[in-house]
Amino acid sequence: MSIATNSATTGAAEPHMFWRRFRRNRPAMASAAVLVLIALAALLAPAFEAMLGVDATRVDLFNQYAPPDATHWLGTDEAGRDVFVRLLYGGRISLLVGLVAALGAATIGTAIGLLAGYYGGRLDTLLMRTTDGVIALPLLPLLIVLAAVDLEKLGVPGAVANSELASLYRIVFIIALVGWTTVARLVRAGTLSIRAREFVRSAEAMGARPSVIMLRHILPNVVSPIIVATTLSIGVVILLESVLSFLGLGIQPPIPSWGNMLTNAQELATRAPALAVGPGAVIFVTVMAFNFLGDGLQDALDPRATRR
Amino acid sequence: MNLRTALAAAALATAIGSTPALTQDRPARDELVIGVSQFPQGFHPNLASHVVLSLIHGMTRRPFTVYDADWKLICLLCDELPSRDAGSIRDWTTPAGEPGLEVDYTIRDGATWDDGTPVSTDDVTFTWEIGRNEAAGINNQELYRRMEKIVAHDARRFTIFWNKRTCDAEAINDFELVPAHLERPAASDPAAYRSRNAYDTDPTQAGLYFGPYRISQVEPGATIVLEPNPTWWGKAPAFKRITVRTIENTAALEANLLSGEIDYIAGEDGISLDQAIAFEKRHGDRFDVIFKPGLFYEHVDLRLDNPLLSDLRVRRALLHAIDRTSISERLFESKQPVADTFVHPLDSMHTDDVRKYAFAPDAARALLDEAGWTDIRKGIRHNASGEPLRLEIMTTAGNRVRELVEQVIQSNLREVGVDLRIRNQPARVLFGQTIRQREFPAMAMFAWFSTPENIPRTTMHSTMIPTTENGWSGQNYTGFRNPVMDDAIDRVEVECSDADQTRHWTTIQQTYADQLPVLPLYFRANAFVMPRWLAGVTPTGHQYPSTLWVENWSAE
Amino acid sequence: MLAFLTRRLFGMALVLAIMSFVVFMLIGLMPGDPIDIMIASNPDLTPADGERLKRLHGLDLPLWERYANWLGRVLNGDLGFSRTYNRPVLEILLPRLGNTLILLGLSSIVAILIAIPLGVIAATRPQSTLDGAINLFCFAGISVPPFWLALVFILLFAVTLGWLPAGGMGGPDAGLFVRVEFLILPVATLTIASLAGYTRFARAAMIEVLRQDYIRTARAKGLGSGRTVFGHGLRNAMLPLTTIIALDFGTLFSGALITETMFGYLGMGKLIYDSILGNDFNLALVGLLLATLVVLIGNFLADMAYAVLDPRISFKSLEAA
Repeated sequence: MSIATNSATTGAAEPHMFWRRFRRNRPAMASAAVLVLIALAALLAPAFEAMLGVDATRVDLFNQYAPPDATHWLGTDEAGRDVFVRLLYGGRISLLVGLVAALGAATIGTAIGLLAGYYGGRLDTLLMRTTDGVIALPLLPLLIVLAAVDLEKLGVPGAVANSELASLYRIVFIIALVGWTTVARLVRAGTLSIRAREFVRSAEAMGARPSVIMLRHILPNVVSPIIVATTLSIGVVILLESVLSFLGLGIQPPIPSWGNMLTNAQELATRAPALAVGPGAVIFVTVMAFNFLGDGLQDALDPRATRR
Repeated sequence: MNLRTALAAAALATAIGSTPALTQDRPARDELVIGVSQFPQGFHPNLASHVVLSLIHGMTRRPFTVYDADWKLICLLCDELPSRDAGSIRDWTTPAGEPGLEVDYTIRDGATWDDGTPVSTDDVTFTWEIGRNEAAGINNQELYRRMEKIVAHDARRFTIFWNKRTCDAEAINDFELVPAHLERPAASDPAAYRSRNAYDTDPTQAGLYFGPYRISQVEPGATIVLEPNPTWWGKAPAFKRITVRTIENTAALEANLLSGEIDYIAGEDGISLDQAIAFEKRHGDRFDVIFKPGLFYEHVDLRLDNPLLSDLRVRRALLHAIDRTSISERLFESKQPVADTFVHPLDSMHTDDVRKYAFAPDAARALLDEAGWTDIRKGIRHNASGEPLRLEIMTTAGNRVRELVEQVIQSNLREVGVDLRIRNQPARVLFGQTIRQREFPAMAMFAWFSTPENIPRTTMHSTMIPTTENGWSGQNYTGFRNPVMDDAIDRVEVECSDADQTRHWTTIQQTYADQLPVLPLYFRANAFVMPRWLAGVTPTGHQYPSTLWVENWSAE
Repeated sequence: MLAFLTRRLFGMALVLAIMSFVVFMLIGLMPGDPIDIMIASNPDLTPADGERLKRLHGLDLPLWERYANWLGRVLNGDLGFSRTYNRPVLEILLPRLGNTLILLGLSSIVAILIAIPLGVIAATRPQSTLDGAINLFCFAGISVPPFWLALVFILLFAVTLGWLPAGGMGGPDAGLFVRVEFLILPVATLTIASLAGYTRFARAAMIEVLRQDYIRTARAKGLGSGRTVFGHGLRNAMLPLTTIIALDFGTLFSGALITETMFGYLGMGKLIYDSILGNDFNLALVGLLLATLVVLIGNFLADMAYAVLDPRISFKSLEAA
């Protein structure tokens, strides 16, 4: 009981204070609204499909490159498929990849940051040197190597390695594997300052196990930077997915993602430039919104920061 | 907020609407810049093998024999094509007692390396020696293994002794000479030949080429500059300088052509067909686009030991269900003709008298019903034991056109109740492992690229099914075993009279179309995008490039 | 000082050693070796040929043994040959590295030259419309898929307007002016991606500095606002900016890969990408290590610069860090 009150009072921002500050940040509010809208539309993709009477996977070679009309709001692509509905289905994939990979990276980063900050000493040195090392790496070439690794040689069961969704799992996994460094540093810094506080000391004195102290006393106090970093990294991941698609290592067709739709469109840039506008715009708007949202969260959660 | 997006959209839109800026009012056109999408890996004619390299070597070297643009075998480096009638092809018995052949050639008078050394039989025997040396790591060693020995009679005349009696012994298209006078030192240590040979150490060195051009400058990854070869014995080429520029992104390649950075996009390795079609529509006034259907046979290999596909009715139903005509018309504007078998209509051995499969969904449904796939649940057919009719198709990931065709096929097959799943792999994995070791479960879509009159032994003969035991050799990936086909292939190789050839080739094609071990799709076309002023380029449509006749190219 | 240098150099060597092992293993996990592909594309090759070629390229040994052999050769100064180019890897890599460094260096400089004024302007008028606009511009820059931006540049400046070449490097005998012409679009693409981070950092650092006592004092003494900001503030704001730019080098390297691919620029990123996809084991490995080394050196130089620029920091305190 006393634990809960302790952590609440030392929290970076109280809920209503946070909300008041966040509400004042108009770009962040607008971004949140845009993101909710995009996510809702993506979730409702089958409903749109039914409403417009189109089928996202049905190929119609007699209706290629159709201009926008009442049925095909954004026209059709080179296989005569509805671009709008495909964008919505692609959004499901891209947002899912962004969210899961960012959360995965945050989880790894939090664990490493907590361990390094709490135990200090050799473990801290080892973990932080590793973090520095990973930050120093030219990541994209490494991602390419990772994306080309044969899963079956790694002992992943053939059923998973060969499924249609394999490219999706793989991309989430490799991004989480290299994207944790920012969170690890932030959490470590937070942990270092919190663990010196009195309530942590007293919990230790009362014989609480380290895992309990880390998870119940320290973690709630370092949660703000985690949220901010994760929000920002969702945008980065969505962008990264499009880049990997461009390099031929992203989500594989026929599963649509914003990245592979845009890559496909760029090859057709001179024939059907309109095709590049949809996925290009939606990636741009979404990533931008995540950036503004992260920025707004940062200000609202941590008013002492110097950003704004 | 999305100002940038709007700007980008505007830029994209204006790019097509307006007339692009012209930067090509050069006074005299004595230079040509060819755009390609890859850079060759290595320059040695027998160590490297690359479409762009063969394009370059077409201008800098000459093979002894080659198929010309009319798909006829001709001599380029020899005086005349050997034949039995002229007595230059004779029967011979190998030391092991096997039937073989001896074939005479004479090197063309005046053939000279670009450092002034004449091309001689010394080069012929040297090339053969290094080719046979296992340690040297020459790719096409089978060719040299079949040449039991080579005897030089003088500086220009020599005889090749083949250890097999075949109908095409006069063709030595891939016997690429290397200069003995330059390469002998490097070959003294065969194991190090790969890294010490003159072509890779310095491809601009004098003495490596004997075509109308020689390589004068190389910027690895980007450009290869060719200049006329002073010792060239044939017709003098028109261009004083030919630059081959590599631009890998095909959208950028197109942009470079429009902005005048390059003059001509080679069909051998340039932009994809649908890009070219769109390009022609928009810029047909400034550029000629020649579509040359070639010996790229796009098809779907079927695993015949898959229980679903072992049923001929199912195989036939699949082909009836795929709207190949619409694919050809809508996606490729009929530039890529639908294939009935693997033999190209331009091939002299082609026959039209084979079983054909028109787009007929009803016929497909009837065949599937007959095969027992009658229970339709949620649009997917099931058989009596409740198994769904579900197949998997694989192709090269990242090849946009194939991926598109794949999705059309998927949609077509769903109409008749077949659930087709797509799983693609990068080319390296697909060809290096999955197809080669027959790990694809049902269907694999890819292309064969070949020479005219290419006997399908490796792909169709029952002894050519890759297995662990034979070290995965052979290309009969479908697992096709058919005594009629085997017999026809065995005979077509050795029964050389015109009547026999026609008869066996017809049997091969008819068996192929009847049994459908493979779903034929279409013959891929190459698109040559040329400026109006470029004359004399004749696409060949097979693996020997148009640049072999570069001396006929000119600016008008 | 000496202890600091030794420790840093040792650290770099360690990172490189670990990297080489990890990358070697990862590349070994990639499917299909070059010989498999060669066999698949050439029906005349027999299984015996395949084995012979594999032996020739050392591909028949277990992975760890291949690593040990490789490491042994490298320590003897032999970095090996590229499989695809049949040339020593450094002969291929070094010119490419030079090209990439030119690209990265130029775009870093351009980005800094734009970022600092923008950051300072934003910092002196926080919360203003101008600040908001700069912020928007920055976010836009990092939200555009870079390959798309490159394509738009090509279509706009090369195809439609015809002002600049669409890609390439101008050929082997191009003069300086031509080379610069070919650099404009790639540098612009890369700059836009890194501009946002620098600007926001410059702004944050500047705000921090402006709050400090000595600036207030300077202002109170009646020094003009502009001179105050630039004279006193900027120097101090430069410090953290130097670090962030050096730390950013790894990211920039990744960005260079896309830019190089789109513009046909012959850089390292493109080369590494091609060698990975082309199964050119040695080239990919040495390329990745070289890239890592460059980034590590960048970080190291940043630390040195930090010490030089800020007299309060000595090498002793860096050693403790």
